[in-house]
Amino acid sequence: MEGLFSRRQLLQRTACGFGSLALAGMLKGQDPVPMFPPRAKRVIFIFMQGGPSHVDTFDYKPELIKRDGQSIDFTGVRFGTFGKVSKRRLMKPLWRFRQYGECGRWVSELFPHQAQVVDELCFIRSMHTDGVAHGPATLFMHTGATNLVRPSMGSWISYGLGTLNKDLPGFVTLCPSATKGGPRNYASAFLPAVHQGTAVGAAGKPASEATIRHMTNTVHSRERQRRQFELLRALNGEQLRRAGADDRLEAEVESLELAWRLQSAAPAVFDLSRESKATLDLYGIGEKPTDDFGRQCLLARRLAESGVRYIQVNYGDESANPRWDQHENMPLHAKHARATDKPVAGLIRDLKSRGMLEDTLVWCGGEFGRTPFAQGKNGRDHNPRGFTTWLAGGGTKPGFALGTTDDIGHEAVEDRVHMHDLHATIMHLLGIDHERLTYRYAGRDFRLTDVHGRVVRDIFA
Amino acid sequence: MRHPSVRFPGSFLIACLMLATAMPAQDGAGLEAFEKTIRPLLIKRCYACHSSEAESLKGGLSLESRSGWARGGDSGPAIVPGDPGVSRLVLAVRYGNPKLQMPPKGKLAAHEIKAIEAWVKAGAPDPRVDVVPAPTRRDIDLEKGREFWSFRPVGDVAVPRPVDDAWARGDLDRFLLARMEAAGLAPAGDADRRTLIRRLTFDLIGLPPTPEEVEGFVHDRSEDAYVQLVDRLLASPRFGERWGRHWLDVARFAESSGGGRSLMFPNAWRFRDYVIESFNKDVPFDRFVTEQVAGDLLPYETPEQRNRQFVAAGFLALGPTNYEQQDKEFLRMDVIDEQIDTVGRAFTGLTIGCARCHDHKFDPIPTTDYYALAGVFGSTEVLTPGNVSGYVEHELVEPATTAWHAHQKARATLAATLNRAQAALGGKGTAASRPVKRAGLKGLVLDDADATLIGEWKLSKFTKSYLEKGYIHDKDVEKGEKSATFAPDIPAAGLYEVRLAYTSGSNRATNVPVVIDGIGGLRTVMVNQRRSPPIDGMFVSLGVARFDKGMGAVITVSNKGTDGHVIVDGLQLLRSKGAAAQRRKPVRIVPEQSKIEQRVARLKNELARLDKKAPPAPAKAMSVRDARKPADGHVHIRGGVRSFGPKVPRGFVSVCSDGPAKIPAGRSGRLELARWLTDPDHPLTARVYVNRVWQHLFGVGIVRTPDNFGLMGERPSHPRLLDWLARRFIRDGWSTKSLIRMIVSSRAYRARVAPSPESDPGNRLLSHAHRRRLDAESIRDGILAASGQLDLKMGGLTIRKITQYDYGYVFDTRRRSVYVPWLRNAMLGLLEVFDVANPNLVTGRRNVSNTSPQSLYLMNSPWVIDQARHAATRLLETGPPGRKERIDRAYLVALGRPPSAVERDLARTHLRGSHASQTDAFSGLFHALFGCIDFRYLK
Repeated sequence: MEGLFSRRQLLQRTACGFGSLALAGMLKGQDPVPMFPPRAKRVIFIFMQGGPSHVDTFDYKPELIKRDGQSIDFTGVRFGTFGKVSKRRLMKPLWRFRQYGECGRWVSELFPHQAQVVDELCFIRSMHTDGVAHGPATLFMHTGATNLVRPSMGSWISYGLGTLNKDLPGFVTLCPSATKGGPRNYASAFLPAVHQGTAVGAAGKPASEATIRHMTNTVHSRERQRRQFELLRALNGEQLRRAGADDRLEAEVESLELAWRLQSAAPAVFDLSRESKATLDLYGIGEKPTDDFGRQCLLARRLAESGVRYIQVNYGDESANPRWDQHENMPLHAKHARATDKPVAGLIRDLKSRGMLEDTLVWCGGEFGRTPFAQGKNGRDHNPRGFTTWLAGGGTKPGFALGTTDDIGHEAVEDRVHMHDLHATIMHLLGIDHERLTYRYAGRDFRLTDVHGRVVRDIFA
Repeated sequence: MRHPSVRFPGSFLIACLMLATAMPAQDGAGLEAFEKTIRPLLIKRCYACHSSEAESLKGGLSLESRSGWARGGDSGPAIVPGDPGVSRLVLAVRYGNPKLQMPPKGKLAAHEIKAIEAWVKAGAPDPRVDVVPAPTRRDIDLEKGREFWSFRPVGDVAVPRPVDDAWARGDLDRFLLARMEAAGLAPAGDADRRTLIRRLTFDLIGLPPTPEEVEGFVHDRSEDAYVQLVDRLLASPRFGERWGRHWLDVARFAESSGGGRSLMFPNAWRFRDYVIESFNKDVPFDRFVTEQVAGDLLPYETPEQRNRQFVAAGFLALGPTNYEQQDKEFLRMDVIDEQIDTVGRAFTGLTIGCARCHDHKFDPIPTTDYYALAGVFGSTEVLTPGNVSGYVEHELVEPATTAWHAHQKARATLAATLNRAQAALGGKGTAASRPVKRAGLKGLVLDDADATLIGEWKLSKFTKSYLEKGYIHDKDVEKGEKSATFAPDIPAAGLYEVRLAYTSGSNRATNVPVVIDGIGGLRTVMVNQRRSPPIDGMFVSLGVARFDKGMGAVITVSNKGTDGHVIVDGLQLLRSKGAAAQRRKPVRIVPEQSKIEQRVARLKNELARLDKKAPPAPAKAMSVRDARKPADGHVHIRGGVRSFGPKVPRGFVSVCSDGPAKIPAGRSGRLELARWLTDPDHPLTARVYVNRVWQHLFGVGIVRTPDNFGLMGERPSHPRLLDWLARRFIRDGWSTKSLIRMIVSSRAYRARVAPSPESDPGNRLLSHAHRRRLDAESIRDGILAASGQLDLKMGGLTIRKITQYDYGYVFDTRRRSVYVPWLRNAMLGLLEVFDVANPNLVTGRRNVSNTSPQSLYLMNSPWVIDQARHAATRLLETGPPGRKERIDRAYLVALGRPPSAVERDLARTHLRGSHASQTDAFSGLFHALFGCIDFRYLK
């Protein structure tokens, strides 16, 4: 018993978990210091919901083209087909590939704009992950767990690094989907609620109307709002005076002041009319197919500029099979590519030209890829065994590609990177040791990567 | 007999034995091969994680020495010399099992894998000896563990005698006062009566006292005024709503599953009402625990009691389960984990979940205890099979139940007659207009609920009759983007007749493609769904296909190129002798046609009449049941779903047990678990619960970590008082109301708020009252009470319309917050910003945050502004005339007190400003009052 006791006391006294340091820092209102020099200060995560096909976009497989129509044995991974072997028909990519940039990266004609910025991108073509269905895999991508309730990655980063702007939340998610994990994808679970992602807008609703909930008063005139605020402030002042010194009541009064300031300051961040025509064009704002997602991407840059740590841009919807989920109609990929390609490339160019790509890490990808074999006549099923994700900026190698899938693009084989590894790597780029950023809850220390995760140093610049 | 402290000595023994037998293989040629290829390979590809180079030894496995791999890691030895087929190292590098692939970064080259196989086959000669001593395992010492305060028996404590006893109103105060005296502190004075009634009313019923109640109490000088007030509040039905909500936090109650594909729990409200009723009736807490852990197994005397107990056991089923998880074994283990975690923390304040992968790092809970409990819950069913799994439901017994079953039987007979008559007509017309249960059908029957769906399908019950709970359709949109796939398990290889179930109609598609994937490739059959299904008015035959047992069958209905609504109701597979099915052509008996038609019409009428008189279908409760074959489970190494360790007999937490659990054959052990939990000698159950109650009344527990009484939890501020309370509680028959009455009658509870003395900045000694913020429910209910809009109706289903999903739910209820639909993907805004408990987690103590979204909500939410307007209207219509009186009344309604002089002036100035109307002016005042700090802080 003595031994156990002293171990506990030791833990308390030395506060060896970064978690406690982080918390202590935040209580004092300071930014906690990263564990080692960060390469990136913030993250923009572009989530392509539904699972874009890697073999039709960035993972060029001549062998797959050659073997088009051949039948292969496939061991099922879903309920009902689990472990059963069946024959599947290989299907070549539906789009032509070409090489681009100085790095000579192969990109299909689905992404003509991203093709122009490949020299800025750092591809991981050997991703693999947990979860075969959208819900579990999406939760895994966001929280590192398919089923158990765990904090979102953005919450961990907000908890570890704090915010860069006290008037804005540290973690914002733009137009998130309410399905496939829904709010749990940006919730803080057992971390303090202040680290939960603030949802701005919702999937399926126009990004042009996206704002923070209750940020504006839609009932009263500005003048009346001001009078109302003055009355409330005066009442609080009087009640505080009568209560005597009390930190918590003072904090409440302060938080009202902050809300009032926020109400005045935040709309400016969301106001895209301050941007030049050239910038709007860069993102495809004003062109029908790209207007909505272009706004989201531009908003992400503005939030990044304003000091938000972790910004998630969602290309999603509310339906049972999300946007990139083409089980039986792969040609529909073209529609989604058209909506996202220019805005995404525009964001990279814009960040680059403003010098922000240096310390902003952009992460773009889906919860899994798609199978090289056909489902139905011309669809593809989910593929968590091998797919492509790219990063840009934030200390990653530009114009680089890591890892390969097998000849047909089905399974990651070389330099495999599990989703846990990607999480660990992104944390590392932000100056956080994923094994040391822990939070004690229900008797044990939790972390984003559970007991897994390997920092993929090969992609560091 | 107590459990000995054992931790699988087996693997070590095996390792020693192997070492001995493997020695002869150390010959020269083998060693040369080792040095040439194997050693460099290990260094290059394995040492980074499996040697002293590693920051931490992964999986506890070292490959740096012979004894390293022989001893092995958490899963046992890595190499069995001479037998590559069972050597985990070989299996791992082969990459055959997705859960066991090494190195993780990428597969070794084929020649490298061959080299390792050959080396192992040759007896794995390896000259390397340990460079560092092998790590020893920490064994848990239960005897030592029992010395920790919370595992010791609840003591029989003598009441201390403080020096200045005059302050104490009872023994409880004496415990507190003695500690204050020892620390040189004196209690602060008593709270004034206005403060007291507001504090007590919120604490006991979660609502503000009305101005009349406040004035009545302030002016009541009788000696027992306070006692009477306490009695009135404890007897109020609002009491159960308040204290039930506290328990619902602990029970992580919700009415939808949340997570991946959120499922609605349309019957979960029954559990909520059960909890509220239990508190109102003051059901003894030990009984309350037993019902929630094993209600479905308890004897009963009345149908009401039976229902109540089945509903109670829903406690185990209400968790945040991700029913969509495709690996069903993984899902099952996660559900069990969630149950162990919930039961452990809710009732005993133990974090047993920590022992899933290894012995508990801090508490004396070996991993075998975890799997002993996992055996209990593994022998309990909560899930039902399906692509998206379902949950277990029990039919409740209601007055109409017998009548309903009789009706069902009569109906089935009539429907069968009708079906036969219609079959004679050649399958024309729809059959019995009523859901058909698959249990009554031959062969392998799948419902549309079993299909894997692509695209958005709508569930419908519009056209009768359908299989099970309805059918789905594609809404006649997004052609080519939707499909429904059935993947039935084939019991035996052979020929099967495939039949599709649908409901016909004139808006249906005439060209629905159905793809059958069997041996011999794909075949597409077109179905015209405008025609009524020829077989029993339900099915159409798609012909015969050959399926294999291993490969299974895959049948996909899609809406590609279809010209109307596409319907999927289900699928039937019948063993076929081939041609048999083809022979089943509709038979036309022309001469008798009209006669049969008449008969069909008559039967249809009869059926319609019967349906009109149908009694209501019995209600259902979400619950659990014992598995058909309860059994002990295995330890899962490192929590891996498919890595089994030794078998463990079912049981409970050994450190709190006298000996092995006695679980009768054929039983899950839940009833025994409940008995163990509620044993008066259990060191934790009463302590943990008493502490929860204390915390809700004082704002802080005697143990400040109410869900963790282990080593990582905090120590009690008053351990002797806690034991004394626990003893009293058990002696008083585990009565919550008696416990609350005793606590609120103390002088300490009635103290005033004061600044904390320097020697006790956290006020652990309770020399004065803590200032507390109202919880989210009290803020909302308090606003509704002040605006006169609160609807006090009790109980029942409150989800406006049971939809398929919970997100996007629009909340519009005026009922108490405890009755607001509690959805994991959508929480009412005010409740969410004011720190309502996260329904995914056991929450004994809520966060109290102070964030700008709270202020934004109070300033800008149209709902708050609307309530302020209601409050103003009511004040002007029913309140006193005169500006001053109205101002005073507004403060009394909102804050339970008249305004200070300054506050009155502020209100006057505000009212004097320009306003469109009196209502507008007073709305503004109420809006400010709802937002001010005195509204949401209790003194």
